[in-house]
Amino acid sequence: MLSIDPSRVDLCEEFKGKPFGRHSADLHKMLDLMRWGFARGRTVILCTVPHKEWRLAKFGPRRGTPMQIDQSRAFGSYNDAVWACFRARWKEMTGGECPVE
Amino acid sequence: MPERLLAYTDKLSVEPDELVEVKVSSPRSGNYRASLVRVICGDDSVEGPGYKVEPVAGVPGNDYPARHQPIPCGSYVEIEDRKSFALSSFSIRTFIWPTWLDKGSEQCILSNWDAATKTGYALYLDATGRIALRIGDQAPLVLPHDLMARHWYLVAVAFDANTGRAILATRRLMAYGHSGLRHFVEGHLTPSATPNRFLIAAWNQGKNATAHFNGKIDSPTIFAEALKPEALLAFPGTRDEPPPERAVADWDFSQGIGGTWIIDSSRHRRNGHTVNLPTRAMVGWNWDGTEMNWSRKPEQYGAIHFHDDDLYDCAWQTDFSIRLPKDLKSGIYCIQLVQDELEEFTPLFVRPLKGKPTSSLAFLVPTASYLAYANHQMDTSWSFDELSSARFTSINRTDQFLEETYSLGLSTYDLHGDGSGVAHSSRLRPILNMRPKSDLWQFNADTHITDWLAAKGLDCDIITDEDLEHEGLDCLKPYRCILTGTHPEYYSLKMLDAAQDYTDRGGRLVYLGANGFYWRIAWHPSLDGVIEHRRSEDGMRAWMTQPGESYMAFTGEYSGLWQRNGRPPNVLVGTAFSGQGFDFATYYRRLPASNDPRAAFIFEGVADGHIGDFGSIGGGAAGWELDRADANFGTPPHALIVATADDFPASYHWVNEELNHTHSAVNGDTCPMIKADMVFFETPHGGGVFSVSSISWAGSLAHNGYDNNVSRITENVVRRFLDPKPL
Repeated sequence: MLSIDPSRVDLCEEFKGKPFGRHSADLHKMLDLMRWGFARGRTVILCTVPHKEWRLAKFGPRRGTPMQIDQSRAFGSYNDAVWACFRARWKEMTGGECPVE
Repeated sequence: MPERLLAYTDKLSVEPDELVEVKVSSPRSGNYRASLVRVICGDDSVEGPGYKVEPVAGVPGNDYPARHQPIPCGSYVEIEDRKSFALSSFSIRTFIWPTWLDKGSEQCILSNWDAATKTGYALYLDATGRIALRIGDQAPLVLPHDLMARHWYLVAVAFDANTGRAILATRRLMAYGHSGLRHFVEGHLTPSATPNRFLIAAWNQGKNATAHFNGKIDSPTIFAEALKPEALLAFPGTRDEPPPERAVADWDFSQGIGGTWIIDSSRHRRNGHTVNLPTRAMVGWNWDGTEMNWSRKPEQYGAIHFHDDDLYDCAWQTDFSIRLPKDLKSGIYCIQLVQDELEEFTPLFVRPLKGKPTSSLAFLVPTASYLAYANHQMDTSWSFDELSSARFTSINRTDQFLEETYSLGLSTYDLHGDGSGVAHSSRLRPILNMRPKSDLWQFNADTHITDWLAAKGLDCDIITDEDLEHEGLDCLKPYRCILTGTHPEYYSLKMLDAAQDYTDRGGRLVYLGANGFYWRIAWHPSLDGVIEHRRSEDGMRAWMTQPGESYMAFTGEYSGLWQRNGRPPNVLVGTAFSGQGFDFATYYRRLPASNDPRAAFIFEGVADGHIGDFGSIGGGAAGWELDRADANFGTPPHALIVATADDFPASYHWVNEELNHTHSAVNGDTCPMIKADMVFFETPHGGGVFSVSSISWAGSLAHNGYDNNVSRITENVVRRFLDPKPL
């Protein structure tokens, strides 16, 4: 199945606890599905203050157009932004909220 | 869009007492302050060695007035003659291969139309991607038929000024069951014969060019009469073809492919020149697949691929010049520009005066590789970027600026807006990732090496790839030992020959990175500061060449991997690219060969145990990109593999040039070919090579106040290599 199994709460928790490094085979597969294809149109991470602040964002429809930056939230660590991006991608792919806050 | 100061200089490699021209654009009025600074370490992250960029004593900063300078991207051809194209009646015939029909804006094929005055005529694609004719300020005549992208069409227009009759026609070359090959439309217009500038692949906007075409144009011809439809759509060389001797101009793009001249093969010689380096040596409408090398059948390579985001030279005015001090020490410097909170850097690589080296040690700055990556936008060019990096797309304000600016010139890692690969990269434009405080890749990662040299008190001259291209072996000869950067990936034939000659003649080479000496490039023989690369055949490719387009236009050389050109990196440095991954890095473990007496100098004072299980890049000395020793690919038989790193996770991927058949065991957790091998071997006449085979190595040098086994091994090797005693 080339889709995310929304019942895999365990994989969300695994990623939240360790966004980088060795992952279980099932999490690796889920991340591959989340990362397949062009980033344009999907949630990405923008460092807005070097080494200090990150926000979620989306590219515009093509180069030369403004990015959409989520001004409602700023993250003080890259890993927090990565987790927020994971949750946003989960929603983009499953249509539902990620079961782990 | 974030505001940016932008700047570049007329040269990158300079000597003391040399005059440098600095070109600046600011989004604001007022003044900016310009200073000369020395870059020891450009890494401003908290994990790094510390940001060390220092003013140069005795060179005061100066204030200059800020102004905006435009970025004139988009390639086209400008014809020298104007008057001959001020035509009342005319016909135009050309082959086109459009690539971006849904762009949503007009794209001109041939014209002398000027959007500022609404005079002249233009054959173009309208905003819906349909063929159109515009004369003066009249409503255009549009052929109401959709084109297919990446298909060849013969496109023609005939206009009779006496009757006002205009005919627009297309003929698709791919038959698809012979349906719908030819389409015509007729209308009535009045002439606009004005001596505007005649352009191919753009029209005029006053003195500027705009409405750039995306795609290929081949064999454009123009006549001063209204030809019949059957003549317009007749193929060259066939009975109905209009006699070429009646042409006002008959441009043959297959002539002078390596240069910028455009030749009119008619008797009039109404020649022109390209602007912003469109891609030449492209297969034309008549390419039949019998030849892959354009220089053998140039008549089948009469196409030029134009892009609206091509940029060779910003051609900005010089804002100020700076004379470098006569006693300026060789090193990496920058012009630092500050206006309010805006800050920009543009680098200068200061080598010693010619013939007067100041050290036996030189750092060969890989400026060809810096150009290959210049202003890259992999985040949006690649469909596989997140899978390759094992991260969600993570960008910074510089990436945002590049994304939101239509084009500051792309890198050879990118796709043009029309989806075709970028083959050229130049330094005559601001390069935002070749400066301190940028990502730790290429330039800024290499300042970990200059930082370590400074910490160890090792005097070192700076030379660059561009010097190596100009001077060959003479550039390296003055030095007993050469250090590479962390990722010296792109080499021309002359550069590679020089490096090989150097080690063959007793030189000592310390390869402080990985995935080096990998891709074959060409520097343009006469244009300043621009490289060409075609991603042919195999390798970890950002894009793939189209069939028949793997030979470079600049020199006619076959591009692609050096390995596939018979010069595997293993021969020069003992190892070659084996795999890559970007989520974390790991360590090396010593191998039995490390106890060989020949290798004793490497490990003097180094305790047993892991090497480099620390560092600011991924947390280890073995990571990002890795090289493996392999006798099958040319690693010298006497090479000592003294250590290896082979414990990588699934996020590391095997290089595809070694994978002749796809299968499932290609990741770090399943593929034994993914390794970083630390290698030493002697070369003739007392020379030697030491290769760390990992890009993240240099990020470990500063750990624990530079007192660690990565730093110790590097220092042991460099000091031994500086010792004239034969290895």
